[in-house]
Amino acid sequence: MRGLARILRVMSTRQWRWMVAGILVGILVIAANIALMAVSGWFIASMAVAGATKVSFNYALPAVAIRALAIIRTLGRYAERLVTHEAAFRMLADLRSWLFERLIPLAPAGLENYAGGDLSGRLRADVDNMESLYLRIIAPIATGLAVMLLAPFCLSLFSPAAGLALLIALFAAGMVLPLLTRKMAVVPGGNTVRLAGELRVAVTEGLQGAEELLLLGASGEQARRVEALYAGITAGQRRLGGINGVAVGGVVAAGGITLAIILTVASAEVYSGSLSGPELVMMLLFAAASFEGIAPLAAALQTLPATSATAGRLVELSSAPLPLAEPATPSMPSQGHGIVFSNVCFAYGDGAEVLNDFSLTVPQGARVALTGPSGRGKSSIMEILLRFRPYRGSITIGGTELRDIAGDRIPELITAAPQRPHLFNGSIRANILLGAPDADDERIRAALDDSGLSAWIGTLPDGLDTAVGVAGSAVSGGEARRVALARMLLHDAPIVLLDEPTEGLDVVTEAVVVARLKERLQGKTVLLITHRTACLAMADSVVQL
Amino acid sequence: MTDPIDDNKAASPEAWLRGEARIVRRPLATAVLLGVAGAVLIIIQARVLAGACHDIVINGVGRNSILPAAVTIALMALLRGIVAWLAEHRLIRAATVVKQLIIGRLYRHLQLLLPSGVTGEDAGTLAEIVTSGVEGIESYLTRFLPQLILAALLPLLMLATVVPVEWRAGIVLLFSAPFIPLLMILIGKGAERLNQRQWGKLTRMAGHLLDLVQGLPDLKIFGAARREAALVAEVSEDYRRSTMAVLRIAFLSALMLEFFATVGTAVVAVITGFMLLSGRLELSGGLFVLLLAPEFYLPLRTLGLSWHSRMNGTAAAAKILPLLLRPLPSLESGVLPPPDSPPSLQLENVTFLYGGTRGGIRDVSLELPAGSVTAIIGESGSGKSTIARLLLGLSSPEQGRVLLDGLELNNFDQARWREKLAWVPQRPFFSAASIRDNLLTAKKNATEGDLFKTLDTAALTSVIARLPDGLDTLLGDRGAGLSGGELRRLALARLMLRDPLLIVLDEPTAGLDRLNEQLLVEAIARLAAGRTMIVISHREEALKHCTQTLRIADGRLVQALSGETSNGVIT
Repeated sequence: MRGLARILRVMSTRQWRWMVAGILVGILVIAANIALMAVSGWFIASMAVAGATKVSFNYALPAVAIRALAIIRTLGRYAERLVTHEAAFRMLADLRSWLFERLIPLAPAGLENYAGGDLSGRLRADVDNMESLYLRIIAPIATGLAVMLLAPFCLSLFSPAAGLALLIALFAAGMVLPLLTRKMAVVPGGNTVRLAGELRVAVTEGLQGAEELLLLGASGEQARRVEALYAGITAGQRRLGGINGVAVGGVVAAGGITLAIILTVASAEVYSGSLSGPELVMMLLFAAASFEGIAPLAAALQTLPATSATAGRLVELSSAPLPLAEPATPSMPSQGHGIVFSNVCFAYGDGAEVLNDFSLTVPQGARVALTGPSGRGKSSIMEILLRFRPYRGSITIGGTELRDIAGDRIPELITAAPQRPHLFNGSIRANILLGAPDADDERIRAALDDSGLSAWIGTLPDGLDTAVGVAGSAVSGGEARRVALARMLLHDAPIVLLDEPTEGLDVVTEAVVVARLKERLQGKTVLLITHRTACLAMADSVVQL
Repeated sequence: MTDPIDDNKAASPEAWLRGEARIVRRPLATAVLLGVAGAVLIIIQARVLAGACHDIVINGVGRNSILPAAVTIALMALLRGIVAWLAEHRLIRAATVVKQLIIGRLYRHLQLLLPSGVTGEDAGTLAEIVTSGVEGIESYLTRFLPQLILAALLPLLMLATVVPVEWRAGIVLLFSAPFIPLLMILIGKGAERLNQRQWGKLTRMAGHLLDLVQGLPDLKIFGAARREAALVAEVSEDYRRSTMAVLRIAFLSALMLEFFATVGTAVVAVITGFMLLSGRLELSGGLFVLLLAPEFYLPLRTLGLSWHSRMNGTAAAAKILPLLLRPLPSLESGVLPPPDSPPSLQLENVTFLYGGTRGGIRDVSLELPAGSVTAIIGESGSGKSTIARLLLGLSSPEQGRVLLDGLELNNFDQARWREKLAWVPQRPFFSAASIRDNLLTAKKNATEGDLFKTLDTAALTSVIARLPDGLDTLLGDRGAGLSGGELRRLALARLMLRDPLLIVLDEPTAGLDRLNEQLLVEAIARLAAGRTMIVISHREEALKHCTQTLRIADGRLVQALSGETSNGVIT
């Protein structure tokens, strides 16, 4: 619940006016609806009494009231939809900005443990879930509670006993029943979620290993396993459906029983003369309509725990400690841009040490290649230098300890082409310009030439405006890496980190790229990770890890 | 023309979904009948309530005369609750039956499709469709389909009840009703437009945030993260503005529906009121009509609300149906007995594309000598798995030939050939049985000595000794405490018992620490003796024992290197 409160605070800080407005309009609409039904009932009954007793009845006023209430209800519903959606979208925009700002200093090391490593899948679902926070939860609960309190109060003005009966009935149907059914749903709900996770694993494993299963003759067995798991899920869904049916049926039954009680209570009061006949009809329709007002409340209360868990997860993520704390008094390198590693140790999380007492001096302007089999921490060195990951020991750039350099000043010192670059869903141009938003065509062309991209881009009908697809899915890995290389070249910094810059290139292109890079990176301090012999030509010394 | 598959292809996802729903017509019909029964109970309840009010207001009776009516009302309410519960129960039952059938059929179909490499989609995406996709059809079956029938039946029922009491009110209802389906279509159209335009936009917006988060390291490298943060707010703001513009229109049709329902009810109230005033109608009848008027419109309004259930369901069906319709590959099998010694394999100008432009291979020629260990290196999607599948005969080339010991592969008896093949994925499959039983599936009559010998070759003896139940340890969902590397070695041990001639290892060392990688590489080297082996990997790893390395990029062979053969492992 604390997570939910925190998220709600983020979403409502700037938008609380819209939130409140949406809820108020919602209450107004329900009130108009209840009043419409009540006045109609009173009107009908009064007309009947007048017809039976031949006493004249001024029907002008109630007729006007009915018309007015009908208009308020109809237009109000429209306004309510607009206002609540406006509020929801505004709140969502604030949430997205807030979340992204929080994630910036955490990436990448601080995000790796989120939801069992399933950052992309989870985050998307979680933010989506928050979209419905206001529309499906906050607003229905607020309006439902208002109905629960206001409707019985209004009724009690006519008959305190009937008001009390309505209060109890609304409370039972709107609060007790949903909370009770929610409790009943905890065990089957938990089981279903667990089985759904197992099903996902079984299906993924079965499909990923389809060849093995086929050759082992085990396909049928895995299929039966999938079906058995799903049978468990459907059994849980049936139980949950039954429980949900109890909630639905319970509200229906409670509504009718309340009518019976109010009818009984009020009939005595009519008989004794403390209540008029038309007032009794009015009260009955009033009570029936107020039950409609609390129906969304039950649904909201049932989904509350899941939403609360999601909010908790997001808050936990956003308030995670920084992988590498920002310095209290940041400083910048004063003596050139040589890099000195002394006794650096590093491990991913609690895992085994990837780097153990690693020491290396890269003088300013030197070009050092790191080689060695994978898993020896080559790529980790690059991430550590980018200040993405914590380390023990000392790393200095131009005599200044890396820890003491502010994270957002690193781009002024270092430019890098990681081994698995991320291409953003946009054009090739947009992806390259990330390195230098103000680069002119001349600079772009030079970067394209030097990264060996020009020929390929020349063959594309849309050239630089070709879309790269989601996460670069429309281009090959080799092309993606070269786009990242061009992006790196545009970003001017004294230190250059390259991780397998020529992987995926054919021999001829590789030679060209190596020669171009060698020329272009003249005077820069370069750390190059590679195991390709052609690429080693770029370096003036090689370090084996 | 008469091909049933083609007939099905013409069918829309929604038509298919309705066809599938036919197997649960009974529970669905029961749910609809229960809906009708609920409406009848509402009518009785309204009748009794109106009668009781008449007695109190007009006839001035006291509480005791009302009690039977009150009890009847409460009883009707209770029955309505039970009916609603039963209907919900039936609907869920119907949905689960259909989903269970579809998931079984879809999964089995995909499991046979995938090895032939004709799906063109990765296993992760397909797994998502099997799990979430199938779940998506539920709301169509439980919310939309029954409501569609009820929306046709219940208003008629209400009308038939109202007309005998006050025909003028009935006429008002009757004439306002045709507007409702019209508006429903409008709403449906509006919703669909909303769906197509805004849904796409919403997905893009969610995708945008995700894209940025996944690329955060790259943004940080170039100091562009803050700049993009401003863009997040801007994109959300854009989305809000454009969506609200559409919603203002889309909600208008709902407003009109609401308007007709409200005006209809109000006109009924006024007509009834004046009939009552003139004494031509009694309160019991007038109140009865007033109580039923909203019930006349309710099913139509509910149908309007269930429209998005229809869209969700058809969207899910649109993903499932094309997969189910994709025909399974036909296996061309010859009669030649497969070889008994490590085979040599050859691709001759082989092309295999499946619709898409990525993932297939074009005009590839290569040779795997008998007893060789070949590494096929390439990015994901470059076509390396396709090559392996073709070499094994799991899929047939669209152009070119696959040769086994110099003869075309499909001249051999495929069933017997497959017995000599093995494929080890990154996460090998083990059934939920003991380690011993899992090993014995490979060779039924293996002795205890055979088992320990093979475990020893895979460097697993000490690992098994560590387990409290030893060989009888159950391998379950989590691999019974064995690490990923140990499970892969166990898969190799199983292979050695099965003694295949041709083995494919899919990313064997990915994600292993150095010790486990070392142990695995050694086990692979021992396994490779006397077999032909293919190792698929997305990067050059410490595979010292390869006789040749083939590099694949974008479906073409870009490099072929002879590897180290000097260490004497390969004989």
